[in-house]
This record gives sequence, structure tokens and C-alpha cells, in this order.
Amino acid sequence: MNFSARINAVLAVLLAALIALPLAVTSNFAYDILIRILLFAFIGTSWNLLGGYAKQFSLGHAAFFGLGAYTSSLLQINYGVSPWLGMLAGGVVAMLASLPIGWLCFRLRGPYFTIATIATAQVLMLVFLKFRDFAWGAEGTTMPNLGSAPLMMQFEGKAPYYYVALGLLLLSLVVTFYISRSRTGYYLLALGEDQDAAEAVGIDVPGEKRNIFMVSAFLTAMGGTFYVQYIYFIDPNTAFNFDVSIKAALVSIVGGVGTLFGPLIGTVLLETTAALLQSWLGNQAGVQVTVYALILMAIILWRPTGIMGFAKEFLLRKKLRATP
Amino acid sequence: MLETVTQAVINGLLIGGIYALVSIGVTLIFGVVKIVNFAQGEFVMIGMYITFFLATQLGMDPIVSLVVSMPVLFVIGLGVQHFLIRRVLGLNDLPQIFLTFALSLLILNVALMVLTPNYRTLHTSYSDAALHFGGFYVPVAKLIAFGVAMLLSAILWVFLHTTDLGRAMRAASQNRDVAQLMGINPHRVFAVALGIALALAGAAGSLLMPFYPAYPMVGQVFVLMAFVAVVLGTLGNVMGALVASLLMGIAESLGIQFIGADSGLIVVFLLLLITLAVKPSGLAA
Amino acid sequence: MRQQRRKFLKHAGQAAAAALAAPYVMRGYAADTINIGGLYPSTGSMAQIGQACVVAAKMAVEMVNNAGGVKALGGAKLNLILSDVQSDTTVTRTETDRLISGNKLTAVHGCYASALTLIASEVCERAKVPIITGSSSDQLNKGRHFTFTPFARASQFAKAQLQMSKLVGDKPKVAVVFENTAFGTSTSNGLKELAPGEGVEIVMFEPYSAGFTDAGPLINKVKASGANMLFSVSYLNDLILIVRTVKQVGLNIAINGGSGGFVIPDFYKNVGKAAEGLLGVAHWNHDVSDLAQKLNDEYKKRTGEFIFEYAGGLVAQTFMLKEAMERAKSADPVKVRDALAALDVSSGYAAMAPGGKVKFGPDGKNVYGHPVGVQWQNGDLVSVFPKEDARKPLMKS
Repeated sequence: MNFSARINAVLAVLLAALIALPLAVTSNFAYDILIRILLFAFIGTSWNLLGGYAKQFSLGHAAFFGLGAYTSSLLQINYGVSPWLGMLAGGVVAMLASLPIGWLCFRLRGPYFTIATIATAQVLMLVFLKFRDFAWGAEGTTMPNLGSAPLMMQFEGKAPYYYVALGLLLLSLVVTFYISRSRTGYYLLALGEDQDAAEAVGIDVPGEKRNIFMVSAFLTAMGGTFYVQYIYFIDPNTAFNFDVSIKAALVSIVGGVGTLFGPLIGTVLLETTAALLQSWLGNQAGVQVTVYALILMAIILWRPTGIMGFAKEFLLRKKLRATP
Repeated sequence: MLETVTQAVINGLLIGGIYALVSIGVTLIFGVVKIVNFAQGEFVMIGMYITFFLATQLGMDPIVSLVVSMPVLFVIGLGVQHFLIRRVLGLNDLPQIFLTFALSLLILNVALMVLTPNYRTLHTSYSDAALHFGGFYVPVAKLIAFGVAMLLSAILWVFLHTTDLGRAMRAASQNRDVAQLMGINPHRVFAVALGIALALAGAAGSLLMPFYPAYPMVGQVFVLMAFVAVVLGTLGNVMGALVASLLMGIAESLGIQFIGADSGLIVVFLLLLITLAVKPSGLAA
Repeated sequence: MRQQRRKFLKHAGQAAAAALAAPYVMRGYAADTINIGGLYPSTGSMAQIGQACVVAAKMAVEMVNNAGGVKALGGAKLNLILSDVQSDTTVTRTETDRLISGNKLTAVHGCYASALTLIASEVCERAKVPIITGSSSDQLNKGRHFTFTPFARASQFAKAQLQMSKLVGDKPKVAVVFENTAFGTSTSNGLKELAPGEGVEIVMFEPYSAGFTDAGPLINKVKASGANMLFSVSYLNDLILIVRTVKQVGLNIAINGGSGGFVIPDFYKNVGKAAEGLLGVAHWNHDVSDLAQKLNDEYKKRTGEFIFEYAGGLVAQTFMLKEAMERAKSADPVKVRDALAALDVSSGYAAMAPGGKVKFGPDGKNVYGHPVGVQWQNGDLVSVFPKEDARKPLMKS
């Protein structure tokens, strides 16, 4: 078996293991951890398209998360539309929103782009906090209790949610895989390295940024729908929570920006750490994120390319040493 | 009607002074060191807690505690530059953004763990006092805060324009390479810039205590306002940040007055978005 | 090769996490203890209140256990399992879930703030565990079978407040300001709807951001509205800020502090003499009955302060749960729920409520539930309205 066939075989085995995992899991608590890992790996991978490959560091992805969440919730509660459709609708809304948001925010570069994205998510939160007639305002609402209703994305038991989250993650990985291999992928890497040079070479930088922003927004919004269906509750604070924006970026940086599996690895590391901390120290405010922040600082100061970058370097060195 | 507007403007102007202290720090760091300090709000928070504990343990008045909070934060600024910022200076945007961001998360959450999320408030003799004239009222504590803020800004301006070190900072801000060629030690300049910026943040914290509660997340509100002011006032421009901060305070106050008590921030952000749409380089560019 | 290693590490990690999580397996119904869950905001913006509630919750369980526990179950003792909801809606959602799925609970009580309780009650509804609460939002009684509210609802507060406004003046012109979460919006809606019927004119109706830090502009607006009375539907920190700002602005206006932050000892501590004579409403007060006074004395011995509305109420709720367990002769949550639905008591701590009677209707509301009007007099909160519940005469200012 040659190299890439071997990799494919391994990936296939691991995928099968992931699919079969629910057979081994019994505790709700474990499910919660796994679902969170899958969901945030999904969101991180979606973020990575814009933030990792194109190096446009958004800290406002909660805007799309929230738009997705609210779109599907409004459609479900007001019009009885299934959240499966609502998920797609939410993606479309987020995609459309990314156009004016991108138009505004891309006018700034680097850290100021980041700040503009933070402001955007905040504005959306404030708008949804204020307008009660439109979307339940600050109080939010809970999803109607339908018991077991797979067509309405409500399940008894956690295993189905696990599979939905797994499906989303796989979707984002596949999308990222194809984009990174395509011409778009190279354009993104180029403009991420040096925007002016890329433009000079003839790459349609604004167009590429706009397009990848749309894709990233669409996917992130789907995560929003899933999340509110999972916790069957939505309010502006939950939907547009800054923590979502932070986590999306955080897992990608820790795992390795601009890599396919970086966000997933980053999520596994951070969420596992969080779960361990929780079982040792309880849910004390501030503990988890302190550890996240320390990990992040360590990565930035010593290995800015993240875990994947570190792994690649390590294996490269091994290979070099092995060559006669 | 005019009365209401005037009162709202007074209120807004006063709080704008505090925003100015925070935003001047941010813009100074950005101008000189070319780094966005996401953790600026957390240093305001540290200033607030320093003042709180000095007041409750030693009975020190918040305004007096400036002589403690400012130097302490200045030194912290030097430390941050030396141990953290210096190591990411040569690298691209990614490490720089996320370093200060991680720092912000770290400080905030350590504060959450150690100090607990509970609000800490101070009552001084002048916390509730107000000057009344002609149907208007001016809260004394806020007036003092405003006055000190303007004083510190003026001192900074003088420093930047008359002292050697200040001029070196402005030179480094305009063109780092040329400044280096002319013999200016960038790291010393950066360290001072960081020190001053953090000292201003600490001052803001101390001045806030008589009328604002201290809690770990308090910095987040101010830092967001500060960033908006920095963008509005043009990145790196100290005067711009000052004016923009005052304008934002007024805009927020008018927004609360005329749109709704829960709408102050929306107005500010709309200001930002409009500026981005129309003149992204800021008002002073 | 590298992919394989990475993937392996990733999955090993996942498996490890799941394995480590295994200790969080259901603890079964212990033979002679009955688990009840308590969800309160011990940290965050409502920390002081949450902590007081926790003290009361622990006291209540002690009281039940010292009196012999649940006799129908062989004297089984109550075991209180607490969880901090950090004054945050998302945390409430996950903590309630964690509490229920990690323990065999017979019932739950909490969470003080209506916004938080609404979420907790949804989780309880789906998990089929009864929740009993003093939170006032009328939403809590809509479409739920497992939520029980033995005390006054927000709409009842509103009516009482309006009636009390006529005690201080003939033509009340009221400015209503309210915090923008479930508690504030529920109560203020009630005020808006009932005002015309009570002959009260509302001249200003304004939500403000809960947790705001500058009340200046808001009070400005109150001044400009020409109101002679201010209804503030607020939690503690906001209310303190509002009252102090009113004083600072020099605005001469009567204040009805509603419930929420008004009825807490901390309010008086922070506002001082400015609180004297101010009126409010409460769903429970420590002078509601002799038993309440007894409870208050004990609480005061432990904490140095009087036991406030929600805390006293939740002691009564603990006893209501105990009564339900006695009736059901079981610790099974669904059976206890049915017993609660049929509860009808008029004596003992379980009936420690204004009016002294508790009986739940089909929507989980207490058919006898009504609020009392309260007033700060000499540093203590006393019931002054309606006549049947007044323990001291109204202090005129």
C-alpha cells in the first residue's frame, strides 16, 4: 500500500470509530463533551477558512452564529418550519449579512479589522436585545417541547445530536479540503501572506475575501442553529456570545491556523482540558478560560504555528535526520 | 427640550473624559509600538481594584490613590513590554493580535477566580454630590474625573511635544526605521509608551471608583469604547482619540436620552460603522 | 504516517475524556436520603441574593431533617444538592442539565431571577422533574406541568403597586422604568395593562439595560416626563443606582421600588435613610405569620440580617416539597409532582405565605397567592398593605 492509500485507510478506520462511538458512550456528561468538541471543531474549521487561510482574523463570528440561530428559531416558532430547512435558511441569511459586514470591515486591515468584527457582533446583540416584538428581546425563548421529533431536529437522548454535529464537522472538513486544494485555496494563502503582493500579481483580493467570508459565515450559521436546537433555548446573550467568537479563533490558533485538522485538534485539546478542569475544580468562574489563555499565550510565544505546525516541524526534522 | 439636551451633553462629556484616558492609551501604543492592546480594559480594571482595596483597607481617597495606581501600572507596562510584547515584535499580525488578546483573557479570568465576580462599590463623601446651577446638575465625582482626565491628557501632550523622549516616541510612531537610524532605542521608547498607556488606564480606573462598580468584566465595556474612539480619531492620533472619546460620550448620552435607555451603545457602534463606511481612516486623517 | 499519529492522538483524547467523565454517572436513589436540587446565582451580578438563598435553602433542609425528615418514607432525610447558575442564562441551561443528569433528583427549587428560572423550568419539564419557585414571571405558568409557583405573580405585583400608588396621592402620574429581562418585562407589562383600570396614568414607560452603570440619563427622562411617582422594576444593583441618582439629581418624587432589589437588606445598607418610607411589594415578608417571625429570628442569629422575601419563600417551598413527598409516599419525581398538584395546606411552614394557605391550580399557580405591600420603616421592612396583611400602619412622609 502506498503512502496516501495508507492515510486514506487510516482516516476511514477512524471515521468508522467515530461513527460507532455512541455505542460505547453511556453518560450524558460524556455526550455533552463530545458534542461540544464536534460543534466547536466545526465552528473553528469554518472560521479557519477566513481566519486561517486568508488570515483575516475575525472575532465577530458570533454574529453569524447568532443569525443562524435566530433565523431557524423564528422560522420554527412563528411558521412551523423545520429547523433542518431553517439551518439552510440561516446559512443564507448569514451569507447575505456577510456582504455588508465584509464591505464595512474589510476597509480596515489587521487588528482593526478584528475590532470592527467585534463591534459588528456586539451591534447585532444589542439590536436583538432591544427589539422585543421582533425576536423576543432580552428574555429570549425556549424551543417548543416536541418530545421526539426528528423532522424538527428534536431528539430524545443525546446520540442523534452527536451524529448531527459529526455530520456538520465532516461537512466543514470536506469543504475546507476542497477549497485548500483548489485555486481559491492558493489565492487565499497568497493574500493571507501579503495582501498587496497578491493584488499586484493579479488576484482579485476583495472578491476572494468576500467569497470566503460568505462560505465561512454560512457554515458558522449552521452551527448556531444546531446549538439552539441542542440546548432548546435562545436569547441574544447566548446567540451572539463573544465566547463563541473567541473559541472559534482560539481552537484554530492552538491547533494550527490554515491547516485542515488544526481546529479539530485544538478543540479536542481545549475541551478535554476544560472537562478535566470541571471535574477537578467544579464550575468555578474563570478557571477554564484562564487555562485557555495560558495555553494560547504559550502557543503564541513558542509555537505560533500551533500544534499542527509543531507536529509538521517535528516530523520534518525526523525525516531529515533519517535521510542519509 | 434644550434643557434636556444640554443635560445629556453634560453627562456625556463627563464620561467621555474617562473614555479618553483609556483610548489615548490604546492609540499611543498603536502609534508607537504598532500593536493593538486588547488588554487595555483589564488594566483599567486593575486600577479600579487597586483603588478599591486602598480605600477599604487604608481609607485612602480614590483621587489620592492615583499616586499609587499610576506608578504601579506604569511599571506593569514596562514589564508587559519587556516580557511579552518584545518577543512578538518581529512577527506578523497573528501573534501580536492574539498575544494581547490572550493577556486580556488571562487577566480577566484570573481576576474572576481570585476576586470573584461580585460588584465592589465605593462610597465617598462626594459620590452622590452634585453641583446645581440653572436647572442643570453636574455630578461632582464625574466632574473631578473629567478634570483630572483632561489634565493628564494635557500633560501627555506637553510631554510628547517638548521632551526628547516624547519626541522620540512621536518619531518612532511616524517612521520606525528612520527613527532607529537616528539613534533612538526602540525598545526603550516602546517600554515608556506602554508604561504611559497603562498608567493612564490605571488613572481611569481610580477616577471611576467613586461612581462606578468594580468587577472583573468591567474593562470590556471601556475597551470597546476605546477602540471605537481610536478608529474614529484615526489610529495613532492622540488628539483624535481624545476628541473622538468626548464625542462618543455625548453620542451615547444623547442616544440613551432620545432613543431609549438601553440604546446608548447602539448609537456608538452606529457611529463607528458610519465612519467605516464613509471615512475609514478616521476623522483626523 | 503523520496523519495516523495525529488522528490516533485525537481519538485517544476523546476516549480519555469520555472515560474520565464516567464518574459522573447517575447516583441512584439512596435508600434513606432524598435528593433535592437548588439552583441559585451565587456568583455574578446577583451574587449577594444567591448566597442568601443558599443559606436559607440549607436552613430549610436542616429544619425538615431535624423535625424527623419525611415520615412516610421512614424518616428519610433531605439532601440538598446546590448548583451555582452564575447569574447567567447559558450557565443555567447547562447547570440544570448537569444537576439533573448527574443525580437522581426528586425535585428542584430555584433560581430567583425569572429569566434563569424560565430556562431551568424548561429543562425540568423535559426531564420530568418538578420545580418549585418563587420567581414571578407569568410565563412560568404557561404550558408547563412540572412547574409550581406558590407565590404572587408579576401581574399581581403590578396591580398591588398601582393600588398602593393611590395611597400616597390622588392623581398619580407614574413613570415606569424596568430592567429588560423577564422579571422587568413581565411586571411592567402588567402595570401597563392594569393602570387604566386602576385609574393611574402612566406618563413614561422605559426599559433600561439590566446592570447599567449610569442612571443619570434615565432619571433625566423621568424628570422631563413630569411624573410624581416612579415605579422601578429592578434588581438590587440597578435599584441602588436609581435611588441614589434620584437623590443626586435632586428630583423630588415618590418611589415604589417594586419587588426584586427593593426587599433586600443590602438595599437599605447601600441607600441608607433615603430608603425610609419607600414603598414596594413582596411575595413574602418576615412578618407574614408567627412562624415567619420565628424563622426570621433564627436566620438573623446566623447572618445578622433579616430573612428577605425570596429566601423566606424558599423555606416554605422546601416544606411544601416535603408535604408532597409525605402525600405521595414516594421520592419518585413524577409521583411527587402529582402530589404537589393536589397539595392543599393551611398550617405549618408549608403554608407560610401571605394569606396562610397554599393550593395549586391546574396551571401551577397558588389559588390563594397574593402579594403584600411593604415599606421600609426604621431600617426594617414591614407589611403595610392590604389591610388583612398589614402588620404596621403605613408611614406617611
